[in-house]
Amino acid sequence: MSGAGSGERTLELLIGPQHPASGHMRLVAEVDGDVVVRLRPDIGYVHRTVEKIAETKTYLQTIPLIERPPLADTANHNLGYVMAVERLLGVEAPPRAQWLRTLLAEMNRIHSHLYGLGIHGIMLGSSTAFMWAFGDREIMIEMAKRLTGARITYSYMIPGGVRRDLPPGFAEEMEKALRYLERRLPDYDRIFFSNPVTRARLEGVGVLTREDAIRLGVVGPNLRASGVAYDVRRARPYAAYPELDFQVVTRSEGDSMARMLVRVGEIRESIRMIRQILARMPDGPILAERYAKMIPPKWRDYVRETGRIKFPAILASLRPPKGAEAVSRVEAARGEAVFYLVSDGGPRPYRMRMVTPSLRNVVLFSHLTRGCRVADIPAIYGSLDYFPPEADR
Amino acid sequence: MGALGWILGLLLSPWVFVPLIYPGLVSAFAVLLFIIWFERKLAAKVQRRFGPYYVLRHLGGATQLVADLIRYLFAEPIIPEEADALAFVMGPALLFGLTLLPVVAIPVSGTFYAIRSDVSLLIVLALLTLGAAMTLIIGWAGNNKFSLIGGLREGFLSMAYEIPLFVAALSMAAAYGTLDLVDMVEVQAETAWGVALNPLAAFVFLVISFLATSRFPFEISEAESELVMGPFTEYSGIMYGLTMGASYLKYYVLCLLFSIMFLGGWEPVPPQLAAVPFGPGVVVFAKALALMALGVFLRAVYPRYRVDQAIRLAWHYLLPLSVASVFVSMGAAWLGLTGA
Repeated sequence: MSGAGSGERTLELLIGPQHPASGHMRLVAEVDGDVVVRLRPDIGYVHRTVEKIAETKTYLQTIPLIERPPLADTANHNLGYVMAVERLLGVEAPPRAQWLRTLLAEMNRIHSHLYGLGIHGIMLGSSTAFMWAFGDREIMIEMAKRLTGARITYSYMIPGGVRRDLPPGFAEEMEKALRYLERRLPDYDRIFFSNPVTRARLEGVGVLTREDAIRLGVVGPNLRASGVAYDVRRARPYAAYPELDFQVVTRSEGDSMARMLVRVGEIRESIRMIRQILARMPDGPILAERYAKMIPPKWRDYVRETGRIKFPAILASLRPPKGAEAVSRVEAARGEAVFYLVSDGGPRPYRMRMVTPSLRNVVLFSHLTRGCRVADIPAIYGSLDYFPPEADR
Repeated sequence: MGALGWILGLLLSPWVFVPLIYPGLVSAFAVLLFIIWFERKLAAKVQRRFGPYYVLRHLGGATQLVADLIRYLFAEPIIPEEADALAFVMGPALLFGLTLLPVVAIPVSGTFYAIRSDVSLLIVLALLTLGAAMTLIIGWAGNNKFSLIGGLREGFLSMAYEIPLFVAALSMAAAYGTLDLVDMVEVQAETAWGVALNPLAAFVFLVISFLATSRFPFEISEAESELVMGPFTEYSGIMYGLTMGASYLKYYVLCLLFSIMFLGGWEPVPPQLAAVPFGPGVVVFAKALALMALGVFLRAVYPRYRVDQAIRLAWHYLLPLSVASVFVSMGAAWLGLTGA
């Protein structure tokens, strides 16, 4: 608090890390009355040295590690990492595995966007949006459980393919789930997106212009809400995306409302994509021939009957050629994720670089909050779908 | 037997009954225990949850709030070292007490009241404004930046809502030609309910009662995602319980006042209740409770406004509307609708 004689008229507000809406980070806000003069995100509270730990683990063991930071969005990061490993090894997953990967990635996108929308809801004070989104997110978690056996951290994609084939009756159950979600979206619209109070809180708040979005290197829905139609799925198609019909959702306003609505549009697109995937899924093996033939003969019948891969021993000690480097990019739910791997010929990566979308979006905190109101801080924070563990890694 | 009769007589005398039992302390606590449970249950229903469940499971966790109250009572009240201890400790008690104070001037029926005054409406309104000052003191006493900002927000808001609140209430006095709450009910019994005579004033009064008591979408001074718990951030134990109860209590008082001014008060009295001196009060209580249920339901519907938006709403819309409601009242009186 400033003394009367000191000439200071601003108050430094430490929002977090022990604050209901700060997440695992601290926002250092300098406020003049109700107006934010400057806001500095103080990140690193959940830094887990993922990149360094990856150097001590084998390529396969790193998969669960990759999934921990972006907790609501594990499949997309799993996919990005595995794509990089496959490039190092020169392996390619068979088509059916590519489609299954895309299926889980899009299911995870819906789940992650609902998570983000729920958090945004509670930051604005709408407990209903929060509870609904977190409840309906459960649908995709349950479907993912049936596909992979795990609710959140699937570790589904492995070098050369995926762990499990589609369980029987999955497509019918998924169709029910998708119809349910489509029925629910108009409810969300009535109670939250079109709520006059929500609109008053979000429209014109935290406007990110197209130029600034490009200059600051923003990624994901936050970038597309500013009118830039950049999506890795379209720009550098991977997995089954080249064969899918989908739109890159963009909006031109660039405000918090636009960022939220882009996510809603992406949920709709993901629903469309999941339908296409389940209708057109090719038949065939789910693990690359190179590894499938190493499965011990006594397990091959089991794998064929259950559709569950028994890991061949080689996966535990993958050794990419010395000096090999690989980069992969995926469009994770929160934006573009980049993985970079260097091999020294050993069973462990020489270097693993993981650039997550939240890390690239953190710059927006100080950019968008200049001159906003104190109450706009959570409104903007929520609209960025920023996830501190994902940024800190 | 004589002593018992004397105690009963004392309890049933309006000067004790009104502040202590109805509409005072006992019924206020009953309302708190019920309405907070009801709010949680209602929000849970909308949000597809169960809400309170384990404490008295067969009645849907109806005694959850009793359990919470006991927990608050036995929780350690922490006084921060840097706080202004006297203001910090006295704040919640005074806030709670002063918020309940206006009920002394609220009549239970046409014949049963603690204070009958020509200006009982003014007494209620004047006493209602005391609580906001305590919130300011509480916000200062905690020596926490979030408390301070929350207290200031409450200060800004109370400045913005009190004038339209007074003007809307006084417009009804103009319509009925009296400032006496008992007379107001009688005028309504002869003509029509205030909400039909002057819907504009009723609307303004209702919106302001949400604004003045931190109901959604105006849950601004305690906004959790911005200010943790606003002015009450540093409180724990029963002191926190009192601060939390105070806003519901203020809402209860405003709903009682609304029922009397706009919803015909205790009219129509069911004949079974007319025989008991304080029987008609049950009708007012029921109306107020129904109104409170409406207010707490908004939690499930709306997010919260920003403080500047709420202040703009009060100054730019509610104040002109309340002034317009004065003309509506004058028109109604001029047309002879009020019988005055």
